[in-house]
Amino acid sequence: MLKKRLIFTLLYSNGSFMLSRNFRLQAVGNLAWLQRNYDFSQISYSIDELVVLDVTREKRNIDKFCEVLKSLTINNFVPITAGGGVWDVDSAQKLLRSGADKILINSSLFIERYLAKELSEEYGQQCVVASIDLKRSKVGELQVLSHNGSKLHESPARELIDSVLTMEVGEIYLNSVDRDGTGQGLDFEVLELLPARVNKPVILAGGAGNSNHLLLGFKDSRVDAVATANLFNFVGDGLKKARHELVLGGIRLPMWDLGFRNSDVTSLPQNLG
Amino acid sequence: MKNYKATVIDYGMGNIWSVTSALQYLGCEVDVSSDALIIERAQTLILPGVGSFRKAMNALISMNLEASILNSVLARKAKFLGICLGMQLMGTKSTEDGETKGLGLIPSSVDKFSSSEVADRKVPHIGFDQVHFDSDGNLFKGISGNQDFYFVHSYRMLPPDSKAGLSTCNYGIDFLAAYENDNIFATQFHPEKSQTNGLRLLDNFLKV
Repeated sequence: MLKKRLIFTLLYSNGSFMLSRNFRLQAVGNLAWLQRNYDFSQISYSIDELVVLDVTREKRNIDKFCEVLKSLTINNFVPITAGGGVWDVDSAQKLLRSGADKILINSSLFIERYLAKELSEEYGQQCVVASIDLKRSKVGELQVLSHNGSKLHESPARELIDSVLTMEVGEIYLNSVDRDGTGQGLDFEVLELLPARVNKPVILAGGAGNSNHLLLGFKDSRVDAVATANLFNFVGDGLKKARHELVLGGIRLPMWDLGFRNSDVTSLPQNLG
Repeated sequence: MKNYKATVIDYGMGNIWSVTSALQYLGCEVDVSSDALIIERAQTLILPGVGSFRKAMNALISMNLEASILNSVLARKAKFLGICLGMQLMGTKSTEDGETKGLGLIPSSVDKFSSSEVADRKVPHIGFDQVHFDSDGNLFKGISGNQDFYFVHSYRMLPPDSKAGLSTCNYGIDFLAAYENDNIFATQFHPEKSQTNGLRLLDNFLKV
């Protein structure tokens, strides 16, 4: 039986990893900081996927981002989705050759709508993750944002989501800007925007601050995967503990026999830099 | 000291880095190549791949790699592992984006999961799922029963009627998850993304 997925999302900007709160960014540390506080060669056993997004607000440097991606994938044998600033097939190709398995697109879904088609023709639909950021208006209505949250789309969110679901994308990543980084719990109202029957996997993101929030997400039958980008709440062995609690809570997640890494592998990893 | 060597076929469609990184972790010397002559002579070949079948097959043909692969695998019996799209390319044909002929190393065609097969399940099939494997084979040696491996695909092959070692995964229908027949190996899932289960499988392949 297909397992649910716990996804950890890393936000990268200009050499640093960021904490985002309602899409306001705060630099937390560089790659060395991340590796000290999140040893991905170990932590990857507590997550089912890693999402790495370049959320740089100014001009992005994709080659540098690719180098960071490569560093993250050393001894980290977990599926990786990369994105942020992907506007053409060439950028996607660079990310895929740097360790990414899937490409996340966001703003282009509403503007350069042919990109999803181009990417799926090149890499297959399963390779394209459609990410949609949602925020409440003053009257409490959920609206779609794009361009790092700076552009508001007037069309009803439900219509925009319906149109994305007809595009050649493999999964849909719904992110609540209102809950983003707050640690107050996932925003289940965004799921109400989905049609009754969704035939693509749904990832819910934004607001998970502890294992109970994750658990509630997994218990919702509309959700195939839950993502958290909270760099502080799951620091150290936080993800490991959270996963343990999810399993105790009855969520079917894959388990790993870690013996292989410790006993059977005799050689040290070569320098891949 | 292990003395593994493998040539990863680079035809512009692969997640080359991930495969290479996993092989190197296992102590394998990796040669990434798109050179038909090198592939013609290699002892151990790995065909990774993320992409559409037609584009991939066209790339293999235009780079003169189809013939070198077939020579290596069929005439010289080089050890061969196809991963994900790499496995699908080993099929007879695919209906992805029109009909395209495959390498024909596995007697099965590649088709999209149909809604009648998967019933209420979502397509693509994405995530860790249980593989029911043939324990007599080499690939799954030392892996305890029905472990999870990472899948990400919309197209599938059905288990062929063959004496080869067939492993399956059920997604409404039993589809081919792994294949082994003499020097020919394939996995629909990504061993390089399947944590220790996948590393063990890759190590088993290198050991054969």
